[in-house]
Order: sequence, then structure tokens, then C-alpha cells
Amino acid sequence: MSRTEFDVIVVGGGHHGLTTAAYLARAGLEVCVLEGRHEWGGALYTAEVTAPGFCHNIHANFMEFLHVMPSFTDFDLPSLGARTIYPEVQAGMPFRDGRPPVLLFRNDMIEETAKNFAVYSKHDAEVWRDLKTKANLFEPMLMAGLYTPPEKWKPGDTLPNPMLAFQTACTMFGLDEELAFKSVKDCVDEMFESDEIRALLYRVAIEFAAPSLEWPGCGYFFLFACVLMPGCWRMMVGGTHRLNGAMVTACIREGVTMREASRVRRILLEGHRAVGVELVDGTRLHAKRSVVSAISLKDTFLDLVGEDHLSDYTRRRVKNYKDGPDQVLGSVAMALHEPPHYKSARWDPRVDQAWYQVVGYDCAKDVLDYCRAGHCDRIPELPAAGIWINSIWDKTQAPSGKHNLTGWYFFPKASALTEAQWEEVRQTYNARFLALAGEFAPNMTRENVIADYLHTPLDQERGMRMREGDFGHGAMSLDQLIGLRPFAGASHHSVEIEGLYLAGSCMHPGGGVTAACGYNCVKVMCEDLGLPAVWQSSGRFY
Amino acid sequence: MAMLSDGFDAIVIGAGHNGMALAAYLAKSGLSVAVLERRTEEGGGLCTEEVTEPNFLHNLHSNYHSLVGICPVYDDLALHDNGVEYVHPAVQMGSIFSDGSALTIHTDMEKTAASFARFSRKDADTWLRLFAEVSGYLDLMVRTLMYAPPITLRDITRALASWGVEDKSEFLTARLRSMSVADFLDRHFENDRIKAMLAFHAAICAYQPHVPGLAVTYPVLLGKITNWQLCKGGSHRLAHALMRVIVKAGGRVFPQVPVEKIVVEGGRAVGVMTPDGFVRARRLVASSLDVNQTFQSLLEPGAVPARTLEEVAGVQYQDASLFNVHLAMNGLPRYRAAAFDPDIDRAWILNLGFESLADFEDEFASVRAGRLPAVPRLNAAVNSLYDPTDAPPGMATGLLRVFAPFALADGGAEAWSREARAYGERAVERWLGAMVDGGAGLVRRWITETPLEISQKMINYRYGDWMVGRIHPKSLLENRPTQELAQYRTPIPGLYLCGASQHPHGYITFAPGYNALTVIAEDLGLEKWWAQV
Repeated sequence: MSRTEFDVIVVGGGHHGLTTAAYLARAGLEVCVLEGRHEWGGALYTAEVTAPGFCHNIHANFMEFLHVMPSFTDFDLPSLGARTIYPEVQAGMPFRDGRPPVLLFRNDMIEETAKNFAVYSKHDAEVWRDLKTKANLFEPMLMAGLYTPPEKWKPGDTLPNPMLAFQTACTMFGLDEELAFKSVKDCVDEMFESDEIRALLYRVAIEFAAPSLEWPGCGYFFLFACVLMPGCWRMMVGGTHRLNGAMVTACIREGVTMREASRVRRILLEGHRAVGVELVDGTRLHAKRSVVSAISLKDTFLDLVGEDHLSDYTRRRVKNYKDGPDQVLGSVAMALHEPPHYKSARWDPRVDQAWYQVVGYDCAKDVLDYCRAGHCDRIPELPAAGIWINSIWDKTQAPSGKHNLTGWYFFPKASALTEAQWEEVRQTYNARFLALAGEFAPNMTRENVIADYLHTPLDQERGMRMREGDFGHGAMSLDQLIGLRPFAGASHHSVEIEGLYLAGSCMHPGGGVTAACGYNCVKVMCEDLGLPAVWQSSGRFY
Repeated sequence: MAMLSDGFDAIVIGAGHNGMALAAYLAKSGLSVAVLERRTEEGGGLCTEEVTEPNFLHNLHSNYHSLVGICPVYDDLALHDNGVEYVHPAVQMGSIFSDGSALTIHTDMEKTAASFARFSRKDADTWLRLFAEVSGYLDLMVRTLMYAPPITLRDITRALASWGVEDKSEFLTARLRSMSVADFLDRHFENDRIKAMLAFHAAICAYQPHVPGLAVTYPVLLGKITNWQLCKGGSHRLAHALMRVIVKAGGRVFPQVPVEKIVVEGGRAVGVMTPDGFVRARRLVASSLDVNQTFQSLLEPGAVPARTLEEVAGVQYQDASLFNVHLAMNGLPRYRAAAFDPDIDRAWILNLGFESLADFEDEFASVRAGRLPAVPRLNAAVNSLYDPTDAPPGMATGLLRVFAPFALADGGAEAWSREARAYGERAVERWLGAMVDGGAGLVRRWITETPLEISQKMINYRYGDWMVGRIHPKSLLENRPTQELAQYRTPIPGLYLCGASQHPHGYITFAPGYNALTVIAEDLGLEKWWAQV
């Protein structure tokens, strides 16, 4: 590598790191972004893991923030190859006995969802109509919260209280303020009476950033994960890795120096100031202004900085930061001859065209038991999954006429099982899922499967460096949200080490393809470093 | 920002290294350029994936790059400044023989000679003379033979004669044009194993040792025997660097935008059809695909002269593909043969199974008959020896390759799905059998990649042919892919060929792309800012 000195070095080339790098370069800084893996984009990961030509998004799939994501428009990512499809039926739940499916439609199709819910409960249809209408109305305001960094906090200040924002949200929706203190399950149960609808909402909640269904203090997640987000999901044409391709292109065009396969061994300090990094091969790169870490919290402080350089407070909070158990996933991938055709399609054929298909549950309690297993370090008895077959809409993701099923199992933390036990899961679980799925969609036979693959939480941890396989890079529980994420003293994107900023998913608003952690970090840095506010855009108030 | 629908000056079909290099030169020459790629990743054969386990980087196709420092593209495009790093393994290659002896080829030729001398003093001396002689004209040969549009074999012979090469050279003669690599080796060397080692080098470059006529370019091949380099962090990094050069120069790469048709208006190529619609090419379309796709699938039959189509239909592909096993391992292999030659443990690429020239004859005869040799003869590469970052700390990534038929005699290409696991097991067993303690505990996991899968993933590699056209005198130089198409131009004005179907051939040479550039620059009157070879 020729150059060794930059204004800013960004560690980690996931979407937050790339976002940070692109904005800072636009602000006029010389920026170098380093990625440990050979490929960019972190969880914007698409790979032919089953058979040639079958593209599987085994990490991120549902792009739910693109319509509000500042970097998406600021860098004109659609023109750089990030093209999207917006499937009408966003989520669907078929049943083993061929009961009518529960379907959840796009934000602009509230009536269709209400009509579908009415099959099971007119009351639930009414509730949905009311909540979703408000959600669409309040969406810009709620989303703005994601793209705003929490206030700076230091020991002695009044502790930030995420509940205040959550209570306000409940009031906005005309709900009792106490709901903010309830669990997601309690909220769903209070608002919806149909067991079938509850089942779908439970499952949607756990996979879309809601912490454990039964933890109190999570009423906000009911609003966010069950009401606000379903309906926003966009598909990236060609796979989510295309969003990465667009961001990489944007970075190159902004003049960012990009180095993949360049793992950082430590962050170099002079006194209490971060002045550069050292790579595993011994190369030293100097940062005149700042080092930004867009990797996990513990990797940053325990591995790259070293706990000796931390205050007692920071060391305690970093070491006790929680990864999992609420967002730990295993990914299933199958190359198929044809997509599932569900028994429930006889009532409404659109269930076969639901983007997110929740398969394997007969009732809401099944979903609860499924989640509880993961929390108790057990593999769920019921091998159910949430799956998607992107090739139904996007022919480029599979060979001609074939289909790429990908999906998520909700699994225990990586450390809950031994490597041999995970291997056992890898060898057996997909076959169990397939047998179960066949009871819901009779064409899901062994003959329909060309090849399959299972990515365990241990793989997620090792490959993506998501500790415990937690795709949120840290539990999204009340104690690790907004001003408390990752902990109060670091929530404004820095700690006591001068010149070191944090831009990864351990920051507010957490995991998911929001580009917000990077964007918020840029906001803070522009102010601290006296840079032009390149993030500002007319017509956008966040 | 340019959208696809705005059109471009130049459209390159296929984002392999040849297409991307051409696009980079054109973009740096001021043209607006788009590279359209069918697959999810750019790079073509520069394909690195974690196919066994996370953090184990497997080069699925291109693994050895032998033209670093020779090929002008690296400097012209400043690829090193754009993030490519190479490692030059000190022990380039080795052979382990059934009696426990071993041969090693080093970047240090004296060490190679010392290894050869243990088998034959005479051959060691011959080798030193041969290598010294070849080194003398390697640059000239590479430039005239690779980085220039093809000249005819007759011209090559004439040039050799006019330079008086026969008088000056011990090894270069006009007779080479009718000799095979095996003939050449028989003529100059006496030891079977040394001949096997040198023939192995040719074979893994797709020069089958018994094909008559291939001896002509064998000296060039031998001259590069010490220049096999490893792209640190996986071959795919080279693709990243190319993409950065293209984008910095204002060009664009669009993965997953498959070209469905090349559009011809008034006899001229004017653009391409994609699933997103028509994309205009104001000055040229360059296809880096195999000629069957270009002429039979992408062009309307009426747009191509019948004679061209007929000749394209007759283009021959290699009769030997590869069967690959990719392994994730707990450490580096330790061979029993290290007792004979400790350097064998450091050999990047290993021959395990070819012990004489007759073994190659037997191997390729089996392959041509659609049979798998009962005991696989291996080409084993452990990149982690020289790039430990391609596996988790202390662990290693391995690659076994076996020459294999595309279609099996029993059941055809589809039968690979039935045979793959068992044949993979035999390959792994053979490798472990050469190790201390049978390589106990070494292997974590492995997966196979059959010729059929290779052809499905990289559809350019028809019949699993990674050279995109056979290596045979009738398919090289001015005959590659056909006489009419050999000079990178096509009968359709505005349409050029720039991929491995063209002279010289596949492999990470950049030469087809570079030579197409030379022709395009002439036609378009581009100012040649790049170094002239």
C-alpha cells in the first residue's frame, strides 16, 4: 500500500463504515476505509451458497429504511446500481390445515391488509386500519429519531431515559402510555384478538428488531416492528450486496481510499488520543484527525484499543454490553425447482407471492415456544422458519426458471452450543424444516430441492464478527437503546479517547440496514471537527 | 450521474479481468464506459468465496498469477496503488513421488538446480542453461507473442530464422513447431521425474504435454516458472482494484445486468438489450464472452455472416476440465517426503501423482474417454503457506485439482452429482496419504466443485474449459478462435472481442483485453497514453 497517512481512518467496511467514509470524504477529508474481509458490505452479503447462479442474502434481506435513508439519496445510490422492488404482499402466514392465510400488504395498501385480517376478525381489521394509518402519518417523525444522535452524556449528568420517547410514541398513536412499559406480546394480545394474526405479528416482531417478545418495557417495539416497519420492505435487485456495490462506487467517486483484506490489529494511541491503526501484517497507518470504528463495540475496545487504556467506567460498560439472545439467527438457503405452493392459497393465492413467508406454526403459542427455546439455549423443537424467495420478483437471483429460497431460523446464541453440536444442527435442521414445510406446501419435497445450506449463529459470529451471532450487534433491549446505546457514556459516538469515534451497529439505533449509525457519527464529527455539514439536505429535517 | 438508459461511448460485456482492464483503459482515455456483468460479483475467474467455512478464502478459479511484473497492465493501471498485493512464494512448486523422494522449484534457480541434481546432475545443468537462455529472450517473446495481436506461426518461424536463433540457441529451433512438450523434454532431459515436474508445469497451464506443436511456446512458459504469484487476500481483490480504477476514471461496472442481445442497426453494433431495456453504445461494444455466446446467443442470426456462424460452431474447447476440492484445514500439511527434501513443506503448488511423461498420456487418455483415474493425480495448492490471512489464525485453506472430463462416460455431465463426493474423498485420501501421520486431524471440512458446476457458474467456461478455447496449434495465435475473428475485430463494425476466447488464451494474462485495446485504439484514433510494449 502506497499511502500511509490520511485525515481519517475508518475501521470496518460494512454499510455504516462506508456511509461514514463517503460523507467525510465529501466534507473534504482524505479518508481511508479498511475492511478485514476480502469483500465489502458486511451483512449486505449475497452469495451463491447452494449452487451456481443461486444468489442468497444470508444476512440482511429486507431493506426497510431506503425511503428515509439520507445516504441513499445524498449519493444517488439508485443510479449507482441500487435498484429496488417493492413487493405488494410483504408478509404472509400459511397454515398446515389450509386455513385462510394471514397477509400483510405494503404501506400504501392498508385496505388490503384490513380485508385480509377481517377474515379472522373484523375487530383486528379495524385496529390495523387505525394503527397503520397513524403509522404512515407519523413515519417521518419516528424515522427522524433514528437519524439523530443521542445527546452527549457524562457521569454525573441525568441519565438518558429511552422510556420518555417510547411513552410519547404511544400517546401519538392514541394508546395508553403504559403500553410503553409492556412487552411486545402483551401489546399484540391487547390490540389483536385473532390467534392467527397474533402469530404472524409475533414472528414479524422478533425478526424485525424487536427484543424478546416477553420482556417488559418494549411496547415501543410493538409499534415499530409490528406496525411501522412491515409495509416498508424493499428488495434490492440482484441481492442486498448490490446496495454495497453502490456504496463502494460512491466511496470511490468521493475519493475514499479503500483497502479490503486489511484487518486491523490495534488502534494506535498517543496518550489518550487515537492517532492511527496497525494492521495484522504490521503496516501502520496514521490518522491526522480521527479514527472511526464501525465494527463491534467489544472488538473495538477490548481487541483494538485494549482495556488498559479505558477508564474503569468504560471498561465495565464495554465488558458487560449484551450480545443476544433476542436477535440470533441461523440462515437457511435452498436452491429450488419451484417456489412453495401453499394449501392456504386456495383461499387467497397471493400467499404464494408473499415476500416474507412464515412457515411452520399453527398458532401463536407455537411462536412463543419457538422464541423461548432460543432464550433457554435450546434449538427450537418446531423447525419453523421465516423464508423469502426473491427470484419470484427478480429473475437475476437464480438460474432461468429456478428459485432461491433463503430464510431465518431463530436460534440460541453461538456460545450455547459446541462447535460439534452446531455441526449436527447444520446437518439435520434443514431436512426437518423441509419435512414440516411440506405439510404446509405439498410441493416442498426433497425432489424440489436442488441443494441446501445452513449458516449457523457460530458462522455469523466468525464470518461477520457478529458476537454470539447477534445480527443487531448487541441486544436491542431497553437498557441498550437510544441514549443508553451502547452505554450512556458512549452514545454520542465517542468515549474518553480523543479522536476515536464509533459508527457501528452498537450505536443508536442499532442493527439493521439503516445507515443511521454512520450518518449520526458523521453529524457528530462534522460538529467536533468544524467540517461543513455535508449531511444537510434541503427538505430533510434530520 | 449516468444511468443505464443514457447510454455510453463503450459497453463491455462481461466483468472478467480482460473486460474490466479494457474498460479501465477506455475510461482513462476519456470515453464513458459501462461494464455489464451477468453474475452477482465482478471479476469472472477472479472469484474468491468462503465456500467451506467463514474466513476460509477459496479461489474458486484463478489462483496462480504468473504475469505480475511482466504484463504492462499492472503498471499502466497502477493496480498496486489501487490495493493489489502479491506474494511471490520462495518455493514455487514441488513434486512428491511414490518412493518418498521430492523435487522442488524455487525462485532461486540455484536451489532448483540443487534439487534437480539429486535426480540427475546432467539435467540440473541443462536446466540452468535452458533457464538462462530463456530469460534472455523472455521479455521479447512475451511482448511479441502475448501483448500484441497474434502473428502467424509462419511469421514466428521466419523471425526465428532471420534472427539466426538456430545458431545462437541450444533450445529454440524451427522444429519446435511440430514438437510436443513431451518431445521437447525427452530431447533435452534424461530423468523421468524431472520431465514429469516440468510437464506438470505445462499441464496446469492447460498445455497438454503430448499435443504436437505446443513446444513452440513452451520456452515462454518455462521462463515464467519462477514467477507464480499469489494475490494476497484472494484473487478477487484484483477485481476490486480494477473496479476502483474504472470508477475513478468515471466508468461504471454493473453486476447482475445480463446482456440479452447485442443490437445491430444498419449492420453496425449500436448497443445491447438488458432486462432493463436498451443501452446505447455510441462508439463500440466489446464482448469478453466466449464466441458461442457472442455470436450464437447474443446476435440475431441475420446479423452475422453465415460463414462466421459456421466457423464459430466449429470452435473447439478443451477435452479436460477440472474437478476441484476446496478444504478448510486446522493447520498446514506436513509431508513425509520432507525427510528427503524439507522444502517440500513450503511448496506452494504440488504435483502428487505424475511421475513420468507416460502418466500424463495415461491421464489425458482417461479424461478423453470420460473416465476418472481410480487414484486421482493431484495438483494441490495451499495458499495459506504464503498468505496466512486467507484462513483464521493457525488454520489453512487448501485446494486440490484433478484433470477431469466434462461428461462422464457413464451418465454424462449430470452424473457428476452422483460421483462428486466419492471422488472428492479419494482425492483427499490421496493427499492425506502423503502426509506425516496421514494428516490426522488436519481437515475440518471440504466441498467439491465439478466441471459441470464450473460451467454453470462461469458460463464462459464452456464444458468447464477455463481457458475458453482449447490449447492446440489449430486454436492458437492467428487461429484463435477462428481466423476471421482472431484480430479482435468482427464482421460487425463496432463490435470487438476482448475475452479469453482470443489470443493468447485464458488465465490472468490481461492480454486479450490489452490487445483488443490496441486494435480499438487504432480504429478510434485514441491517443495511446499507456506504455507501449
